[in-house]
Amino acid sequence: MDCTNRGGSLQLVYGEGSLGVHGAGNGKSFHYIFSYGRGGLESLVTDGMEWIYRTPAPAFWRALTDNDRGNGFHQKSGIWSAADRYIKCLGAAVFVDKEEIAMPVAPENNRYSGGETAGEVSLVYTFETILEKTANVTVEYTVSGDGQILVRVHYKGAEGLPELPVFGLRFLMPTCADGFRYEGLSGETYPDRKQGGIPGVYEVEGMPVTPYLVPQDCGMHVDTRWVEVKRSKVLSNCREPVGSQSLRFSMRDKEFAFSCLPYTSQELENATHQEELPPPRRTVLSIFGAVRGVGGIDSWGSEVEAPYHVDARKDIEYSFLIN
Amino acid sequence: MKADITWLDDPEVFRVNQLKAHSDHRYFVEGMEPVQNLNGVWKFCYSPCAGARPVDFYKEDFDCSGFDEIAVPGHIELAGYDKIHYINTLYPWEGHIYRRPAYSLGDRTGRKGMFSEASYNPVGSYIRKFDLDEALRGKRVIISFEGAEQAVYVWLNGQFIGYAEDSFTPSEFDLTSCVRDRGNVLAVEVHKRSTAAFLEDQDFFRFFGIFRDVKLKAKPALHLEDFWARPVLLENGGGCFSLDMTVSLKAGRKGIAAVRLEDAEGKKILERELPLAAAESGEGGTKEKGGWTEAFAALENSRIAEVIPWSHDNPYLYTLSFQLLDEKQNLIETVSYQTGFSRLEIIDRVIYFNGKRLIINGVNRHEWSADTGRCIGHSEMEQDIRCFLKNHINAVRTSHYPNQIEWYGLCDTYGIYVMAETNLESHGSWQKSGGVEPSWNVPGDLPEWKEAVMDRLRTNYETFKNHVSILFWSLGNESYAGDDIEAMNRWIKEKKDGRLVHYEGVVNNRKYNDTISDVESRMYAAPQDIVSYLENDPQKPFLLCEYMHDMGNSMGGMSSYMELLDRYEMYQGGFIWDFIDQAIWAWDEVSGRKVLRYGGDFDDRPSDYEFSGNGILFADRTEKPAMQEVRYQYGLHK
Repeated sequence: MDCTNRGGSLQLVYGEGSLGVHGAGNGKSFHYIFSYGRGGLESLVTDGMEWIYRTPAPAFWRALTDNDRGNGFHQKSGIWSAADRYIKCLGAAVFVDKEEIAMPVAPENNRYSGGETAGEVSLVYTFETILEKTANVTVEYTVSGDGQILVRVHYKGAEGLPELPVFGLRFLMPTCADGFRYEGLSGETYPDRKQGGIPGVYEVEGMPVTPYLVPQDCGMHVDTRWVEVKRSKVLSNCREPVGSQSLRFSMRDKEFAFSCLPYTSQELENATHQEELPPPRRTVLSIFGAVRGVGGIDSWGSEVEAPYHVDARKDIEYSFLIN
Repeated sequence: MKADITWLDDPEVFRVNQLKAHSDHRYFVEGMEPVQNLNGVWKFCYSPCAGARPVDFYKEDFDCSGFDEIAVPGHIELAGYDKIHYINTLYPWEGHIYRRPAYSLGDRTGRKGMFSEASYNPVGSYIRKFDLDEALRGKRVIISFEGAEQAVYVWLNGQFIGYAEDSFTPSEFDLTSCVRDRGNVLAVEVHKRSTAAFLEDQDFFRFFGIFRDVKLKAKPALHLEDFWARPVLLENGGGCFSLDMTVSLKAGRKGIAAVRLEDAEGKKILERELPLAAAESGEGGTKEKGGWTEAFAALENSRIAEVIPWSHDNPYLYTLSFQLLDEKQNLIETVSYQTGFSRLEIIDRVIYFNGKRLIINGVNRHEWSADTGRCIGHSEMEQDIRCFLKNHINAVRTSHYPNQIEWYGLCDTYGIYVMAETNLESHGSWQKSGGVEPSWNVPGDLPEWKEAVMDRLRTNYETFKNHVSILFWSLGNESYAGDDIEAMNRWIKEKKDGRLVHYEGVVNNRKYNDTISDVESRMYAAPQDIVSYLENDPQKPFLLCEYMHDMGNSMGGMSSYMELLDRYEMYQGGFIWDFIDQAIWAWDEVSGRKVLRYGGDFDDRPSDYEFSGNGILFADRTEKPAMQEVRYQYGLHK
C-alpha cells in the first residue's frame, strides 16, 4: 500500500478511534496517540513516561480573584465558566505530510497495514462552546519527524460575547510535578503587574499555590519563552522506574503566559480556604494566549484597566512547541 | 471619687483622673529605668455584660479564687472568651442591637444605659497583685496602660483610681496616694463597648482587653514630665533649635536642666544649662500641686551653623540629652532622645521636604500578628521596617490609630515618613448601604462629642510630637466632616509645629474644604480622577491616603499611578492599602493543620469575611507575589 506510506521517520498506527504517532528523536523515543472522539492528544509518552491524563482542552476560565468578585466580573462573564467546563469537540481532521486524508476510521482504515510512515502529521480539532452564542476554537497538533509537536490554537471571536478572563489550552498530567523551570519573568506576573518581573531563567520547586485567604487564580507567568515541567512519579503499576523527566513547552513566534498548578480553576474556586483544597494529585499546566489583568484600584467595583481586558469578539491566535 | 458605670453611656466622660498626655521619652535614674513591668499572668473573670460582672472585685478582701487566669497583654477573644468578630464599616452590633449615638438626631437625654445596661456588652475583670520593686519605692508612682480596649476602670487597694477610653494611646494614672511597698491589689475592669465604640469603628477584628504593656513608673524628685523639641532645618543648611520643657519637683525646690545636643559622632553642637526655678504660680512659672510643682524652661531659636538633615535617604539623628540636677548638683534624672533636623513646607501648592519635592511611596499599616492580633512585639515591628526598606517603602500611615510607642522610634531611626493618625473612625455613622448618609454622624457638629475627639487628637499629638519621622498629623479616618473635626484641625494648626494636617473625609463634605486638611486626600481614586482634580485649578497638593487595594491577587495597574508623579508636581504619591493581611491562626480539625482564618470563620455575623485580608504581606508576614511590583514601582522614585 504505497499510497499510504509516504516515507519519513514517523511510524503511524491507524487505530479505530485514534492515530498513533511513534518515533525517536534527539535520543528519545516518543509515542503519541491522538484520539478522534476525545478531542485531542490522549497520550504523550517520552522515554516511558506518560504526560497526559485527559486530552487537553481550551481554557476559558480562571478561578475568580477577590477583585473579579468585587467588580462583578463573574456576573458579566460567568458564562465562560460553563464554557470552560463543558466544551464540546465537533470533530477532527487528519493531515499527513500536509495533505488532508479521509478520516481514517472504519472501514476507511482497513486500507492501512501498520507499517505506514510519514515525515509530518497534523490533527486539527474543532471545538464549540455550549453558549447560546457559540464560539469556536481550533487546536491543531503537528508532529514533525523528530517528535516535536507544534500546537496552534485559534479562538474565533464572535460578537455578543462578554470579556474573557483568559484563553488558553489546559494540559492535565497524571501526577504532580516535582517542579518546573521557565524562561520569563521572576515571580508571579499578570499583564498589568509585570513591570517588576525580572527576565531570566527560574526554577520553581513543586507547584506552589499562592496562599491567598480565599483560593483564587494564582501562579501566572506572562511573557514566557519556555517552560519545562519536571516529573518523576507515574501512575503505571510497572516496577520499572522511569526516573525524573521533563517536558518542554516553548514559544514559537511570541511569548505565552502559563501557570503550573495542582488544581483546575474549578477546584480552586470551590474552596473558601486553603485547607479546603483537595490533596494535590495532578499537574494542571495551562498555556495561555491571553490573560486579563488583575486590577488593583479597589476591590469593590473598579474595572481592570482597559488595555488589560481580553476582548472575546476578537480572534486570539497563538502557538507553541512541545518537545 | 467612685466609679460610675454610666460613664460608658456618656460621650462627655472619656477620661477621669487620667494624667495629662506627654512626650514619650524614657528616663533613667542612676543608669536604670525606674520601671516595673506588670505584664504576665493576671487573675481574670469574664462577664457577658455589666449587669453580670463581679461588682466588688476591686475590694481588697475580694476572694478571687474563682477567677480564671489570662495573659496580659492580650485580647480577651483570643484567650477564648468572647467571640472573635470581623466587620468592616458597620458597627459591630449591626443586626443585634439598635443603637444611635447619644445626642444625635435631636436626642437630649443622652440615651442612658445604652452600654451600661446592654444585655450583651462583655466585661473583663482583671486582678493583679504586686509588690513594688526596690527602685520604685518611696517615689511617686504612676501606672501606664499603653493600650486597653475600650473603656477601662482602675482601682488600687480598693481605691478608685480612674477611668479611660481611647484604646490606642497610653492611659496613665497616679498611684502615689495608695500604693504600698508590698501587697498591692490592682483591679482593672475593661468593658468591650462604650460611647467610644462610635469613634472606634475601624475596619479590623473587634477585640477588647488589655492588649499592650502595663507598666509602673516611678518619678524621681526631679522629673522631666514633658518636652517639645523643635529642630528646624534652615534654608542655608543651618539649624534652628527650640525647646519647651516641663519638670516636676517639690514645691520650693530648685534645679538645673543641662540640655545638650550631639551629632551622631558624639560632637556637641549645643549645650545649655537651664535653671528650673520655683517661681510663684502663674504663666510660664511653676504651679503649686499637692506639694509638687511644675517648672517650665525653654530654649528659643538657638542657631546651629550647619546641620545634617534627617530624611528617608539619610535618617541622620542627633541626640538630645537632659540631665536634671538638684540644688546640690546631684544628678537626679537623665533623658536621652533621638531627634533630627528637617523642614516641611508647601510652596506653590507642592509639598517640599528639606527643599525637595516630597514623594510618598507609602503603605497603610495595621498592627497585626496572626498569633496575637494587635498585640505585637519588637520582632514584628523590626521585620516590618526591614520589609519597608527592602521594598522601597518610605512612608507609613498608622491606620487608623496610634501605634505602639516603639514604632515611631524605629521610623525615626530607619527614615520612614509617618502619617500619625488619631484614633478616630466613625465609618458606620455616615456611610450606609454604600452611600453617604450622615443623618447620625459622630462626631459631626455635636458639641457633646467634640471633647472626646479633641482628647484623642491631643493625646496622639502630645505623645509623639518629638518624632522627627512624623510629617503629617492625620485627624482620623473615614469619619465624615463637621465642626468637631474642624476644631481638631484648628487645634493642630495653632501648634505651628511645621507638620501638615491630613484628613480625607472632607471629600464627602466640601463645606469644610478650606478649614480641614492641608492636602487634598483621596482614597481609591482612579488615575483619571486624579488627573481630573489636577487639571482643574487644584488648590491643595494631592495625595492618596489609601490606594492599590491589595486584597488577594491584586496590585495590577500600579504604573498608572506612578506615571502621575512624573506628570504632576502636585501629585505626591500615596499609601498602599495595606501592609499585612488580618487573619488569625486556628487549628483545623478536618485537615489537622494550623490554618489562617478570616472574618466569618468564628460564627461571627454579620461579617465582611475575607475583606480582612488586603496586605502586601500574608498574615504570616511572608510577602505576596505582588511585592516585586511594589518594589519596582516604588524604586522608580526613590
